[in-house]
Amino acid sequence: MGRKLLLEKAHVEGIRHYDVYRREGGYRSVEKALKMQPTDIVEEVKKSGLRGRGGAGFPTGMKWSFLAKPDGVPRYLVCNADESEPGTFKDRYLMEFIPHILIEGMIVASYALGSNVSYIYIRGEYDWITDILEVAIAEAKQNGWLGKNILGSGFDCEMYVQRGAGAYICGEETALLESLEGKRGNPRIKPPFPAIKGLWDCPTVVNNVETLAAVVPIINEGSEAYAKIGIGKSTGTKLISACGNINKPGIYEIDMTISVEEFIYSDEYCGGIPNGKKLKACIPGGSSVPILPANLLLTTAKGEKRLMNYEGLSDGGFATGSMMGSGGFIVLDEDQCIVKHTYTLARFYRHESCGQCSPCREGTGWMEKILQRIEIGKGTMSDIDLLWDIQRKIEGNTICPLGDAAAWPVAAAIRHFRDEFEWHINNPEKCLTENYGLMHYADPIHVPA
Amino acid sequence: MSDETKKIKVTIDNITIDVDPGTTILNAARRIGGDVTPPAMCYYSKLEGSGGKCRTCLVEVAAGSTADPRPMPKLVASCRTGVMDGMVVKNITSDKVTDARNGVVEFLLLNHPLDCPICDQAGECHLQDLGYDHGKEGTRYQFARRTFKKEDIGPYIQLHMTRCILCYRCTYVADQITNKRVHGIVDRGDHAAISTYISKAIDNDFSGNMIDVCPVGALTDKTFRFKNRVWFTKPVDAHRSCTTPGCCGKATLWLRGEEVFRVTARKDEWGEVQSYDGKPGWICNTCRFDTKATASWTIEGLTTISRHSVIGANKYKTLEMPKETIKEVMHGVEPKLLMDIHSVSGVNNPDIHLSDIDRPAHSSDFKK
Repeated sequence: MGRKLLLEKAHVEGIRHYDVYRREGGYRSVEKALKMQPTDIVEEVKKSGLRGRGGAGFPTGMKWSFLAKPDGVPRYLVCNADESEPGTFKDRYLMEFIPHILIEGMIVASYALGSNVSYIYIRGEYDWITDILEVAIAEAKQNGWLGKNILGSGFDCEMYVQRGAGAYICGEETALLESLEGKRGNPRIKPPFPAIKGLWDCPTVVNNVETLAAVVPIINEGSEAYAKIGIGKSTGTKLISACGNINKPGIYEIDMTISVEEFIYSDEYCGGIPNGKKLKACIPGGSSVPILPANLLLTTAKGEKRLMNYEGLSDGGFATGSMMGSGGFIVLDEDQCIVKHTYTLARFYRHESCGQCSPCREGTGWMEKILQRIEIGKGTMSDIDLLWDIQRKIEGNTICPLGDAAAWPVAAAIRHFRDEFEWHINNPEKCLTENYGLMHYADPIHVPA
Repeated sequence: MSDETKKIKVTIDNITIDVDPGTTILNAARRIGGDVTPPAMCYYSKLEGSGGKCRTCLVEVAAGSTADPRPMPKLVASCRTGVMDGMVVKNITSDKVTDARNGVVEFLLLNHPLDCPICDQAGECHLQDLGYDHGKEGTRYQFARRTFKKEDIGPYIQLHMTRCILCYRCTYVADQITNKRVHGIVDRGDHAAISTYISKAIDNDFSGNMIDVCPVGALTDKTFRFKNRVWFTKPVDAHRSCTTPGCCGKATLWLRGEEVFRVTARKDEWGEVQSYDGKPGWICNTCRFDTKATASWTIEGLTTISRHSVIGANKYKTLEMPKETIKEVMHGVEPKLLMDIHSVSGVNNPDIHLSDIDRPAHSSDFKK
């Protein structure tokens, strides 16, 4: 049983409210942090090895140290709670059950960064969580954790919740800032990065909900204790939102030392595949990351057990690996159709592309149409190569990572499941009623000696 | 040497040039000119904040700077990337760039109606030039093209959303030159469209400049619509003393005979409006739409057109015309097509009107 840092108290009765949260040891980190120097807090977070939990996995302490500090210009902390990645629902759980841990983490981060006004930009569909957060912020303010001169330290901090309007693109940090400023949520062209010119052209740090919540145990227990959890550069705990064909879908806090096999099959976590079915494939980090067939998911190309952490999941690059991403763990059993699945994802990215830059605007729609054609049995063999060429021309050529996110799932599906695409094209009648099934996707991989 | 005057060195396609710090790669390449300059569909040097969207100007940075010679991992948008001292940029010398640009052209043309034969922009369309210079000959798109409902945006400007490539230039014009923007981008993704707020007419003294900045035929001049093809008209530079504040009064008149068919701002070699004393030469709607009598203008002379037009006389100025060889390869037969029309056409010989010729024009028509 791994250690739980964030969800340890998640099921204490009434933890959503301040009194219970405080009684259970809440806001200790603020008391501790306000006695420290802001630069020391940044140093602590650096030493903890905490990596951004939103998807990219960028070291948080490093991001904080990049924040420009010109005189007379306010700095902002923005919490990215626009969790819209298909398959990811960890932030929702955290904010819904223990909203105060986010607020606590944000107060510490605001103090460390010198931000007197901090924002939580929350996904539009999470309307009830907006209410929960607003109640929590009011409670925190009432008890002196927000407002002027917090705990007599001379540090002022206000916190606001802003609801988005339901666009996936607003989870991209610069589109989020545009939206927060009241503009159309188009990603900005970088550089300048938000750390130099962010919200209202002021230096800004944008962090994921889970990242900011993880600051609380780092301050409470010290960076060394935090860094001891996990392996290598994957320190601390990570929330995984598991869904798909598993017996126990839900949120799991893992300590990043367990293997993918253990995570899927052990009763402590997902509890295996229901109805005696076999594992076919899995998207380990939210819809944007490459899909992996069962054999490559459980073992790396070197034949070792794949671990559930940043390095483990990306072992082998995109050729034989995937990414940790945001922790949206989607499991597919032998009854699932990869073509249909890829088509669904392509449809999502087409719908969510902001339309600002041409490769993504036009390419996502094109890929969707071709995938639909293959799915209904009207595709041709050259469509597969065409899809490959389109994704290659989108990837890396767009303003923001949405283009990459749309290209990667298609690329990985073709890379690992090409025969299934071909079967769809060669069997136009069958492909609507039958399924390609598991075939060889779970066969042990041949490891060259 | 003070910091302001210190130049930095940048190498683009093996040509090294000294530029001021803060210059973008694209502007440095424009200083060199020719094929070294990446195409730009959305960037407009006179509009602040423009660029970065169309991705046609992607270049490879083979070395970031002298201090940090690592290459940049991805292709970068040259219009929005500043140069560093010692930067090495590859444009047409990079296969990655030509491949990516090929893709971008294909994406831009994917849903474009290709109605050039009836489009007023044809002949001076940047997308035509781009497709010609950087595209492939065919399309691999086999689906119905996206269409939009026709929308009326006022008495002067015709909007054809199907032709739009969403460069956002017209929104920057409305923001920065007119006193209020009433149009913008609605919806997102491949169904994003230029539209006015609840079908409002765009009515503003400087709204006509949106037509000039539009790289394609999405925004065209209603007073010129279907009246003529641009290559039949003769551009002359002219000016008038305009009383509208902010209007430079310097324009290009597009004549056929003595009749003014169209008035536009004067364009430079990159298809952008020319600057006078460092200020962009935007013209007001009165000059553009309502002053179409030759008598109202003082004509300065023929316009020198250098790039974005089939009537671009100077584009062909340095081209060696294989005058004798043509006859040879055609076994002594005189060419029927006018091969050198651009150097001798009505543009350079104002006494001869193409409209007076009732058959395909021949060079002999101009040598009378």
